[in-house]
Amino acid sequence: MSVLYFLIPLALLLLAGAVWAFFWAVGSGQFDDLDTPAVRVIMDDDERPPDDGSK
Amino acid sequence: MASADTCFHCALPIPANCDIRVEIGGEQRPVCCPGCKAVATLIRDAGLTRYYDSRDRPDPGAVRPAEDAGEWQVFDREDMLAAFSTRDGNTTEATIYVGGMYCAACSWLIDAALRKLPGIANADINPVTHRLRVAWDTSSTGLGRILATLADLGYKPQPLAPDSTERPERAEQRLALKRLLVASLGMMQVMMFAVALYSGEFQGIDADMERFLRLVSFIVTTPVVFYAARPFFTGAIRGLRARRPGMDVPVSIAIGIAYVASVYSTYTNGPDVWYDSVTMFVFFLTVARYLEMRARHRSVDRSAALASLLPNTATRLEDGQRRQVPVAQLAAGDIVLVRAGESFPADGAITAGRTSVDESMLTGESHSQEKSTGDTVVAGSVNLDGIVEMRVDVTGTDTTLGTIGRLSERARYARPAFVQLADRVASYIVVGILALAATVAVSWYLIDPERAFVITLSVLVVTCPCALALATPTAFAAAGSRLSDLHLLVTNGNAIETLSHATHIVFDKTGTLTRGMPEVVQTDTHDPEFTAQDCLQIAAALEVASTHPIARAFTRHESALTATNIEIRVGAGVEGIVDGRRWLLGKAGFVPGAAPAAADETATQVFLGTGGRIVATFTIADTLREDAANTLKNLEKMGYSLSLVSGDGEAPVARAAATLGISDARSSCTPDDKLSRINALQQQGEVVVMVGDGINDAPVLAGADVSIAPSHAASLAQSSADVLMLGDSLHPIVTLMQAARRTMRIVRQNLTWAIVYNVSAVPLAAAGFVPPWLAAIGMSTSSLVVVLNALRLSRIR
Repeated sequence: MSVLYFLIPLALLLLAGAVWAFFWAVGSGQFDDLDTPAVRVIMDDDERPPDDGSK
Repeated sequence: MASADTCFHCALPIPANCDIRVEIGGEQRPVCCPGCKAVATLIRDAGLTRYYDSRDRPDPGAVRPAEDAGEWQVFDREDMLAAFSTRDGNTTEATIYVGGMYCAACSWLIDAALRKLPGIANADINPVTHRLRVAWDTSSTGLGRILATLADLGYKPQPLAPDSTERPERAEQRLALKRLLVASLGMMQVMMFAVALYSGEFQGIDADMERFLRLVSFIVTTPVVFYAARPFFTGAIRGLRARRPGMDVPVSIAIGIAYVASVYSTYTNGPDVWYDSVTMFVFFLTVARYLEMRARHRSVDRSAALASLLPNTATRLEDGQRRQVPVAQLAAGDIVLVRAGESFPADGAITAGRTSVDESMLTGESHSQEKSTGDTVVAGSVNLDGIVEMRVDVTGTDTTLGTIGRLSERARYARPAFVQLADRVASYIVVGILALAATVAVSWYLIDPERAFVITLSVLVVTCPCALALATPTAFAAAGSRLSDLHLLVTNGNAIETLSHATHIVFDKTGTLTRGMPEVVQTDTHDPEFTAQDCLQIAAALEVASTHPIARAFTRHESALTATNIEIRVGAGVEGIVDGRRWLLGKAGFVPGAAPAAADETATQVFLGTGGRIVATFTIADTLREDAANTLKNLEKMGYSLSLVSGDGEAPVARAAATLGISDARSSCTPDDKLSRINALQQQGEVVVMVGDGINDAPVLAGADVSIAPSHAASLAQSSADVLMLGDSLHPIVTLMQAARRTMRIVRQNLTWAIVYNVSAVPLAAAGFVPPWLAAIGMSTSSLVVVLNALRLSRIR
């Protein structure tokens, strides 16, 4: 069980890293818009304009 | 997406005898006007037709591409760039308020369209705040081109000065997200350690390991208490200082003493720690707060709303030279040139020229006003047909427009607050909980001092108003998100509560019950050579260049004909050559041979003549919305009293009221009159809902208990409204009233459940049968029940 004395602090370090990363992401504005990204993936960026009227 | 008789682009009904189509996705789609056709064509040709598949509601603004691209070119000038952007090396960054966007598809469309421009480094658009932050390479593209692109898509771009771009809401949202994350991660970690500790109690655990796990829990809980739970402590202190303790007080006490006791127990190796209860408690409350905040932030940006009524730039005459300057740089005494179709940038008087002015948004009056030298004009009104010079007298917040803005701000604060009622009730509950906890503590101290602390803590956790706190915001959040699918945008979370006990609904006329734009309701021909259709086509061709609202009634009809030599006669009409004939279109005195029919103030007659004789008479009126009568009947059936207040003249108001069966109608009301009418109703104990769209409605919208504005409303009216109706129908009001009643039923169920749970659990906890961990689980389950119940609201139709 003594391995826990090593693993739990390690887990805490990872946790601190995750919190830091999230704070950075919030600070850089990545979470300012929570509505658009949800639908963005289903929109293709390009669609050829119908050139001759038939498709 | 749109049915056969509504416009494919904007979903407004297509006027009779109008046949304009656009080919999109291999099919001919009907649209309502050449403006929509132009926008739809632009979207198609840019390869962006995906927009039509993924937008969740039709484009609400009646859109029209900017006819004059030159308007935007001035923004490429150095001094303009300096006023509206910040430069960093080769890239320039600006923030633009984009009026008229409502959904994620809009933001995608803007993003995709901008990325097709050369040199755009980054475009970051927020559909909630309507702000676009764009960075571009100055050498390959200009701000003017970006703005023109947005305007061509049908939005109303407005560059913002750098200092006004930071909204406090954004900082608040970011902080709340961080707190939520700390609380949730902390809760999960501590829960894991707690499981180990609890199973240790049953199976036996190494004493060192127990101490270690407690220490680790302490390390994780500390930021949860001091960072994530901070708003509860500050809220509690604020509440105590104001002598109105809210829910924050017992919450803070529970968090505080559980944390301190756990730390003490960890230090002295005591029998129990309560880190799990603390973190779970903080997490649930933080979630509730976060949901509440999101609903609150949906409101329209007020500062930008006021400014968006004014033009971005004005043409100032400096020693006879014309110079485009930002409106903010205007000062009293300046002489400004205002062209037809522009809005006046400031209050002042006309010094040269003659024109007619549309003040309908400011006064509600549906007819335009004739103005010439010496007459006063107000900022925000639209110059319809002549070029005039005006002397600036008053600018900025001192203008009539600014005053209306201030009036609505004041009315908003004076609004009777049901929220405060909830807070007052809460402070009684709080005092009760504290008294109960103290009694329990003292009694148990006398019975068994060892257990007194644990039991008191259990009582505080069990009585936690968690479910109580979640009951209302979750129901409002669920109802709000469902209503937005039904084309109703709730911008004020408390609006739903107030709506559910509303008794009286007051409507504005122009633009709310009526369409707010003139339509040709009747065409009488006096010459067998021309059919009604021919006459409409000729009129549409003649009016193509005009910005007068009457002209819009004609230009909605696409014309196969083109007019040449068009000349606009200010205040009279327009003349031009179509098919080799000289045509006159305008008022009775302008067209020879025209005889106005019996005077009827509710409609305007326009005459078409050629060669000295009259060919056709058009009757133009602002017609009632198709579903107005039906909607009002439904509302009456639901038990609401209805009234009509309008800034328009007596005849049109009386006529509309008669058609709709409203007995209480008032005409010629100023914004102040409207507000005092509402206040009088409120004094009689009525809970008043106001539905209106004009700038003159803004104060009354803010002063009513709840206010609803259609999406085409002036942005100032929108920002004063609690609920925005998207689309062009009044029927959503009925849905909204029903949904509000249903939401409050759910809220009452939730509150009942929370109270029943608390009341039955408290005696058990006080008797010492509930350890703190069980109390925490009970509390979470009860919160879960409340949340699931609230989610039933997402099935409203």
